[in-house]
Amino acid sequence: MIEVKGLTKDYGPIRALNGLSFKIEQGEVFSLLGPNGAGKTTLIKVLTTLSKPESGTAIVNGFDVLEQPIEIKRRVAVVPQENNLDRELTARENLLIYAMLHDVPERDRKISEALETVGLSERRDSVVSHFSGGMQRRLLLGRALLSEPSVLFLDEPSTGLDAQIRRQLWDIIRKTKREGRTVVITTHYIEEAEALSDRVGILSKGNMIALDTPKNLKARVGEYVVEFVNGKGEFIQHMCGSREEAHEIAKGIESAITVRRSNLEDVFINLTGERIE
Amino acid sequence: MLLYKRRLLRLGYLISTMVVPIVYLVAFGFGLGKSVQLQGTRYLDFLIPGLVSMSSMINSYTWVANSLNLDRLYFKTFQVFIQSPIRPVSILVGEVLASVVKGLLTSVLIIVAGLITSPGFSLTPLFIVALVLNCFLFANLGVITGMLSKSHEDIGTYSNFFILPMAFFGGTFFPVDKAPPLLKAVIYLMPLTHTNILIRKTALDGEALASFVVLVAYAALFLVLGSRIIRKYSE
Repeated sequence: MIEVKGLTKDYGPIRALNGLSFKIEQGEVFSLLGPNGAGKTTLIKVLTTLSKPESGTAIVNGFDVLEQPIEIKRRVAVVPQENNLDRELTARENLLIYAMLHDVPERDRKISEALETVGLSERRDSVVSHFSGGMQRRLLLGRALLSEPSVLFLDEPSTGLDAQIRRQLWDIIRKTKREGRTVVITTHYIEEAEALSDRVGILSKGNMIALDTPKNLKARVGEYVVEFVNGKGEFIQHMCGSREEAHEIAKGIESAITVRRSNLEDVFINLTGERIE
Repeated sequence: MLLYKRRLLRLGYLISTMVVPIVYLVAFGFGLGKSVQLQGTRYLDFLIPGLVSMSSMINSYTWVANSLNLDRLYFKTFQVFIQSPIRPVSILVGEVLASVVKGLLTSVLIIVAGLITSPGFSLTPLFIVALVLNCFLFANLGVITGMLSKSHEDIGTYSNFFILPMAFFGGTFFPVDKAPPLLKAVIYLMPLTHTNILIRKTALDGEALASFVVLVAYAALFLVLGSRIIRKYSE
């Protein structure tokens, strides 16, 4: 479990995290959704002990990020936003170094399993610089799974990937959850947050402005959206609590309309007045 | 080691580290040295230990400074280590030892060249001690600048301010005891000056002992500072 209380992190005059307080339960897939600069990566860095907060506490699986960082590092793994594989080494060698750093037992077997899980067994002896972006991201995930972490952090895992690779990544994440691990994902793809998450925390400018299941978040603002362009050429969105309400509103509009189910971006816009992307 | 093994197989990698000292050896040792004698000895015999000191300083310092800077700021591979369940001092020890090996390896090549070209040049116990201590000291300094630099350009700036003056004024190319008093005071603050004193000694006299103590003090200071910087690292 992860418990955060009053967490604050500054970068000079900029407050990246503003007194965050929330919990993530063991075994859940928790997404942090928000635009660039919301504080998602900063929060991951604090929870994985890469960054020290100015104030507040963060407890990961019972260990404090400031007092017991090594205990946390034994139990978590990170798939970072940047590709930090060693490009001059092979896939197997990258995993070997990680396995040595994390004191993974039965290294050779675990490395083979990790490569199998992410579908890179045949490329084990290929130098990483020859890998495509999708292959490198899969290798990053395989590396993170090598130490069998209790908590897996994924920072923008789908950025730059095509739809097929993204789906493959999601399948691996779902498998990881079935193994009982806690998964924390930062993303600005609403589809990803909706597809994978038990709960979603919406971050904006360092503040957690909402936290709940995707279904409950959407129910707060309305499960349906009626969209149309009014007589002045303005794009209007009307949130509705039910399909019947949406149809009633739609009847009164003469221009072309779209009635659809609401999504997390609608939630974000309603809460902040801004778009996520 | 994995990276080192792969790079060593590239011919240019090993040879490139020797180019600068060999150029100096040829230009100053064989060129200028033919007509110069220093305190009754051939200039080449004076120069070779100095080139070993200078080269080991540059290679030990530069390798780790560049490596930490690039790995931390650009490739983000440093973060793989700092987020692993190992003590921060282990990272320091690993980086320093790798850099010491690099410094020693390039020194071996120059020493071999010296043994072939200069009958007056020989390896003494003090030579080995000075060389290893020099590599260790500058590797730790490289850790400090590698960790403190905010961009890759900063590494060059630090080199220009500290490493380059030491290379030319620290007793590599000429004895420092005849320098003007004000300059001498600055020169004797430089660690490389004391390496060059110690590396040329055949016996542990008072001067050698004083230089040894200075080098150990610098090494300890840089080690403590580097260790502290890595322990307190936060993004």
